Amino acid sequence: MTGERREIVCVDGIVKDFRPGFGLRRKRVLHGVTFRVLEGEIFGFVGPNGSGKTTTLKLLMGLIRPTEGSASILGRDVEESEFRHQVGFLPENPYFYPYLTAREILDFYARLCGVESTRRAEQVKNLLEVVKLSYAADSRLRSFSKGMLQRVGVAQALIHDPKVVFLDEPMSGLDPIGRKEIRDVILSLRDAGKTVLMNTHILHDVEMICDRVAIIVNGRIRHQGRIEDVLPEQDVSVEVVLARLPAETADAISEDFDVEMRGHSDRVALLVSEKDVAAVLEAALAASAQVVSVTPHRSSLEEVFLSAVRDGGRAE
Amino acid sequence: MNSLLRVQAIAENTFREAIRNKLLYMLLGFGILMIASGVLLASLSYVEVDEILQDMGMSAIRFFGTGIAIFVGIGLVYNEVDRRTIFTILSKPVSRPEFLIGKWAGLVFTVWLQLFLMALAFGAVSWLAGAPLGVDHALAIAMIGLELMVLVAIATLFSAFTTPMLAAFFSVGIWMIGHLSRDLHALGQQSDQESVAMMASFVFRVVPDLEVFNKTLEAVHGLPIAAAEVGQACIYALGYTASTLLLGSMIFGRRDFK
Repeated sequence: MTGERREIVCVDGIVKDFRPGFGLRRKRVLHGVTFRVLEGEIFGFVGPNGSGKTTTLKLLMGLIRPTEGSASILGRDVEESEFRHQVGFLPENPYFYPYLTAREILDFYARLCGVESTRRAEQVKNLLEVVKLSYAADSRLRSFSKGMLQRVGVAQALIHDPKVVFLDEPMSGLDPIGRKEIRDVILSLRDAGKTVLMNTHILHDVEMICDRVAIIVNGRIRHQGRIEDVLPEQDVSVEVVLARLPAETADAISEDFDVEMRGHSDRVALLVSEKDVAAVLEAALAASAQVVSVTPHRSSLEEVFLSAVRDGGRAE
Repeated sequence: MNSLLRVQAIAENTFREAIRNKLLYMLLGFGILMIASGVLLASLSYVEVDEILQDMGMSAIRFFGTGIAIFVGIGLVYNEVDRRTIFTILSKPVSRPEFLIGKWAGLVFTVWLQLFLMALAFGAVSWLAGAPLGVDHALAIAMIGLELMVLVAIATLFSAFTTPMLAAFFSVGIWMIGHLSRDLHALGQQSDQESVAMMASFVFRVVPDLEVFNKTLEAVHGLPIAAAEVGQACIYALGYTASTLLLGSMIFGRRDFK
């Protein structure tokens, strides 16, 4: 247990070797991967292409077996199948039977999950509304765009109201509106007390919605923890944009504080240390300058991610 | 109970998919055409006209039924893996044996439906030609149904771990050897070399003895089909199918879906 929250997904020292072709040589794609996902959180699993994200997720879904190590979901070994009515999964670029309609495919998955026949139609209808596909409920999937199939994929992952949801690139193929809608669906899952593990390349989404994150590079976990813990400790600088700042006030601010100044008197951007922000703003307002924006600048997840990828490459 | 419902859901979906396979209709069409063309063949003879007609009809049912069982069956599991539809199914509370049995059951139902249609064509042609029809004809066709059930299990087994091309090669090979295994066994026993006799005996035990299900001669010539033979064929078909699916489940259970 970590704090008060239950560990929902436990991955312990997973090693996975694949044998390409018929040869005896093995290729190791996961090197002792270990992480935990806690109850009720959105966990971001990020890494570059070929880093082992999807392999890890397939392993958790029982689609591949580990060479070494163990993994469990809700305390059950991932190779069991009965407990999976509590687990939802969206694979990367999902593909469905093209001859079925959206309603039929969701009904099929609901049957596999043992959803009672009395509840099935209602459940299917609700989920089609959630993923904004009600208008295409009775259209065959062969006529669906990639984004629509992605929405069907999200719906099938939630059809049995699972406790834990695994999403592999959930925003893939979606336009900005679709991404926002799916992001809202994921956030609503957390609000409903569900646990979500999300594989993604889109670091902006991770920063926006994930509580904790693990960065995997070349089959090894490089960082994991709360996003604010993963980001390096630093003195946060703040960008203050001012309009109509008199030249003499600008000179005084430059002399009194450690600032980086860009622009001209009409509009000036100052990069100020967090501790000096209040004083700089006070001086600017006293000189009748207009405050346009105040934006804290800190190292983003992207920088941490790129650094982890570079370090991972060197370590290899 | 839940397990049965999951198998049923997969079987129904397999049936829906199988009936969209154009190959199935082509083989069914040719089968019915061959049954009907028995009239032409029989007209060339002055003796045993009815026997020729019905022998031809039953052979066509067996041959094209086998074609459907094997050539639709070989892609049964392979296509699910290739198109990655299996990911969303096995991530649900569906075990791998349930998946395999569901696929098998769906195709067996499809094949039996085709068999029923060909049997109707056989009955209609025999009735129009004035050939006798009785319970033995129905029994002989039902026995073909048992043979097809075994063949679907074999095709499913190979489909669970190899490509459709290899699965077709292995399945057709087993079908051919299965109809010759009694003769091979008998020949082997007459050999002076012990190794040949052992090999023939091994093949006879491993490969299904499909002649158990061949009661065409009896039905066509009005010879009685003993109830015990039918019972033994049923037990043999169920036993062989169960063993094949069990082996398939063990192999399929160890597969990684990359």
